[in-house]
Amino acid sequence: MSGRLTSWRLALRLARRDARRSWVRSGLVLVLIALPVLAVTAAATLYETHQMTGSEGVDRRLGTAAAKVYTYRHAADVAQTADPETGGASWATRRRATPPTERQVLDTLGGERRAVPIATGYLRYRTAEGMGDAQSVATDFDDPLTAGIATLSSGHWPESDDEVVVSQALLDRDPGEQLTLRGGTKLDIVGTAESTSYRDTAFVFARPGVLPTTGSSGDQAWLVAGGPVVWQQVRQLNDLGAFVVSRAVLADPPSASQLDPDMQYSDAGIDSAELTILVLIVVMVLIEVVLLAGPAFAVGARQQTRTLALIAAAGGTPRQARRVILASGVVLGAAGAVLGVVLGIAAARALQPLVQHFDVQRFGPFDVPWLPLGGVAAFGLVSALLAAVVPAFIASRQNVVAVLGGRRGDTRASRRSPLIGLVLVGVAVALAALGVRRASGMGGGGEVPIALSAVVAVLGMILLAPVAVVALARLAGRLPLPLRFAARDAARHRTRTVPAVAAVAATVAGVVALGISITSDEAENRETYTPRLAMGQASVTDYAQKADWPAYLAAAREVAPESGPTLIRGIPSGGRTYVDFRARFVGQPRSMLSSWGGELATSVVVARDPADVDALGLDAEAAGRARRALAAGQPVVFADRAVPDGPARLTVKQQAPRERRMTTLGQVQVDAVAVPVAQAYAPVQAVLPTSVARRLHAPVADVGVLVPGGLSSAQQQDLSEKVAAISSRAEVYVERGYQADSAVVIIKLILAGLGAVLMLGGTLTATFLALSDAKPDLATLAAVGARPRTRRGVAGGYALVVGLVGSVLGALIGAIPGLAITYPLTDRSGYFSGPVPDGLATHYIDIPWLMIAGVVLGLPLLTALVMAAAARSRLPMVARLQ
Amino acid sequence: MSAVLRLVDVHRTHGEGEAAVHALRGVSFAVHSGELVAVMGPSGSGKSTLLTIAGGLDQPTSGRVEVEGSDLVTLSQAQRARMRRTSIGYVFQGFNLIPALTAVENVALPRELDGVRSRTARAEARAALEEVGIVDLADRFPDDMSGGQQQRVAIARAVVGERRLILADEPTGALDSETGEEILRLIRARCDAGAAGVLVTHEARHAAWADRVVFLRDGVVIDESGSAPVDRLLDEPAASR
Ligand SMILES: Nc1ncnc2c1ncn2[C@@H]1O[C@H](COP(=O)(O)OP(=O)(O)O)[C@@H](O)[C@H]1O
Ligand SMILES: [Mg+2]
Repeated sequence: MSGRLTSWRLALRLARRDARRSWVRSGLVLVLIALPVLAVTAAATLYETHQMTGSEGVDRRLGTAAAKVYTYRHAADVAQTADPETGGASWATRRRATPPTERQVLDTLGGERRAVPIATGYLRYRTAEGMGDAQSVATDFDDPLTAGIATLSSGHWPESDDEVVVSQALLDRDPGEQLTLRGGTKLDIVGTAESTSYRDTAFVFARPGVLPTTGSSGDQAWLVAGGPVVWQQVRQLNDLGAFVVSRAVLADPPSASQLDPDMQYSDAGIDSAELTILVLIVVMVLIEVVLLAGPAFAVGARQQTRTLALIAAAGGTPRQARRVILASGVVLGAAGAVLGVVLGIAAARALQPLVQHFDVQRFGPFDVPWLPLGGVAAFGLVSALLAAVVPAFIASRQNVVAVLGGRRGDTRASRRSPLIGLVLVGVAVALAALGVRRASGMGGGGEVPIALSAVVAVLGMILLAPVAVVALARLAGRLPLPLRFAARDAARHRTRTVPAVAAVAATVAGVVALGISITSDEAENRETYTPRLAMGQASVTDYAQKADWPAYLAAAREVAPESGPTLIRGIPSGGRTYVDFRARFVGQPRSMLSSWGGELATSVVVARDPADVDALGLDAEAAGRARRALAAGQPVVFADRAVPDGPARLTVKQQAPRERRMTTLGQVQVDAVAVPVAQAYAPVQAVLPTSVARRLHAPVADVGVLVPGGLSSAQQQDLSEKVAAISSRAEVYVERGYQADSAVVIIKLILAGLGAVLMLGGTLTATFLALSDAKPDLATLAAVGARPRTRRGVAGGYALVVGLVGSVLGALIGAIPGLAITYPLTDRSGYFSGPVPDGLATHYIDIPWLMIAGVVLGLPLLTALVMAAAARSRLPMVARLQ
Repeated sequence: MSAVLRLVDVHRTHGEGEAAVHALRGVSFAVHSGELVAVMGPSGSGKSTLLTIAGGLDQPTSGRVEVEGSDLVTLSQAQRARMRRTSIGYVFQGFNLIPALTAVENVALPRELDGVRSRTARAEARAALEEVGIVDLADRFPDDMSGGQQQRVAIARAVVGERRLILADEPTGALDSETGEEILRLIRARCDAGAAGVLVTHEARHAAWADRVVFLRDGVVIDESGSAPVDRLLDEPAASR
């Protein structure tokens, strides 16, 4: 036991000395280990700070009360978790349910208690432009029980029922002297205050009972003073039909078994699929870090080969030799992990104000999640150890004679590992195929096998990388000298080259896989985008039965008279009287459309002008056919497949409320035109000329405002506020065609940036280490008359070899999960009840060739140029001349 | 006949002040075409320093170093590199082949670095390997060769492209005596063919291959002769003071 310890102590001492002596290489490893640890630490700390866990922030919700109790009018069979507002609660809706009163609540809790009613919700108020939204809190703010819910910044808390206090964010929207609520109630603004939970948000604070309550926290709610409310009491109140947020329970939550059986699942957290993917991500990051740090240990091991050979010559065992290298993993891993955690916490502290700036919810107290951070630090240590393992094994198997005889280079490559690599890639392809199969099947859930396939493919790739490196060296005979030297030297020093190549490849694989999935997803969105209107036009829609269409039209004319707003008419759908329209071409099946409708408050447009079809957002061909038909006085019927034009029977029936049967209003047989629609989606069932509608005795009403000339952004803003003042249901829409989500663009940029940084990191590490390793060779080159800039050429050549082999390999490997994931991601079969209609793709694959070319060719060339430019151009002169 | 290499009052001091080491202190001598000069002296006497300065790998603190009439001291870095590619061939004790390159590629190196087309460079390299008798090993890598074979490759690399000055720093140090003799024979043959050679050695036997011997002690030439009793000088260094 003590012998082993002594041997480790020797190894650790050698490792410490070595780390200090070759401090540049050690620094490199330290940075590689510390950086991911730092990033994860900072993110975890910020998340934990942002998160209100347990009793954190309880004052913001309860003031100084012991608990908040709330009830819903029709709630029965109440069950809740420790925190019913965020953790989950369940109830049944029963008309006869009688929730407890304030008296009952206080009696149940017992003891010396009192209650203050509090109501939270949302309301709308008049702004200079129209209507705005605000959150509301109504309670007695002068009562010490409510202290901590909001802080008064000027004026005084409301003293009567016609006074309110508002937040600065609300004042900024210019409500005027008084606050005018929807419905006309006017309230005097007597002060400003801010919510302690949300910043930069419009708030209205008033006395209890003044403001309406619509929200998640009950129809009735009270803050209850007195001693702690324990879980037992919470259950009692649940039985009465009330929900409880208790300070004592939040601080000491009940165990899962104490929860109602209905509630036990809700604390389960993430499901197994998410967990699998999370684990896979951690594994990928681990692989990447190990690969990046590996070469440094390989070079360290080589620089120590003489020491190791001497240890062996002095009678040391291979295990002792191994330990010397592993010990440097322990030393650097521990230092990197501690450094990463410390700097990560510091970074989180520094970033906190910046991140808070992007979130209206106020953060909790600065909170360091020590336990998870322990895991993160262990991750750093383990990655350093893993990175040292392969070099350690190789070093311990060094041929002592060869080392002492001055021969450099690695032992011959294993013949078995490339085969295992091929098998792994095969398994990855099979897993990906399985994922594709599952995605198009019913159950779904192809993501997990595909994510697994990504990791397996990367592992296989690591075993195949030596083959690629050696193959390139074989082909290098015809290359210019710096490249030939780089390729051959890379192949000779595989323990150093392969991890770097694999690191680049793993990065590129990730970028390519995500790139393919993102562009394919985007392709799906683009291809399946259904315009609601003709390009550039605008509309005002409202689903309500009694929408004030003349008012909308007047608003539109006021904002954009030049765009010629007009009313669209149709057979009104919805409403209390149900109107049914049927169209059937003679000799054709009954069903023509699998789905229609959505945007207009009708399923049949009655066109006074053929141009009214613009309101439907048809493609050019369909719109042209529809216009021609309407001009000829013929009805247009939409179909999701080709149907021959011809005589069709149109029927309109209606069913008034309380009537049992439909009554037929009219039926006609006319020549009609069938217009097939793209994407199997029709905006309405049919467009009828006014004459046909009249013959059918169909009720006709306004169903929308069309603005054929469109609206500018400013006009859209103005019209939106104007119609919002008329009705909250009104919507202004401007058809601008498919707009790529700006988040997608940002994600792509981040991907490209991350790819570039990691590739640069991997290439830089490998090249730097190769150059320091190749010092004797560079000295020889100098001695036979190489120009000083040859060193730059060799540096560039090295970067190019590592970058190019890595990126080509990575692109091939990344394509496996990348192509596969597009199936579950863009699968369309779920959209249709039956098989996917003709002419529609079942899924979308769009390969971002430009991005891949950039990553596979552009980035390696760029890094090679950077490397060549950054390399010292002086050749070492007399390094080996003794 | 003009000298291929001429050193005039060459000084070389490593370091400064207290720690200064005077490796060479006013060394002068010349080597002519067809001549092989042996440089002898005890370890630390400045032999290697002399050779690196003659090869333009190091600069003298003062003095002149002329190779084929041009003064290396006044040339730029790039011009000195060019001289090493075209005029000066260097052979080291440790062979100093590049392990990533095959024998023929190692030999072709100076020519290729000089911008000669790689096909031509390889043809010339094969000819040079032919000369040293190991053309059949042309496509082997250095690690797969014996020490003697590696040193032959190094000699081929030093002579390829008709270079007229060959500098050899204890080329036989890592070889057994028989192989060492063969290496010296090759260098001698090259000088007989018109090159000028400088051979650093500390073995009296090897000096027998030379036309002239230069003795160095503490950075000073203590004897330069073509016929001096070499053995005596070596055996009794103190006597010559
Ligand atoms: N780069 C250097 N820095 C300092 N001293 C050096 C350096 N190179 C050589 N010397 C010193 O110069 C002297 C001559 O060295 P060297 O030419 O290698 O001798 P030799 O080859 O005859 O053994 C020695 O004392 C040596 O320590
Ligand atoms: Mg020497």
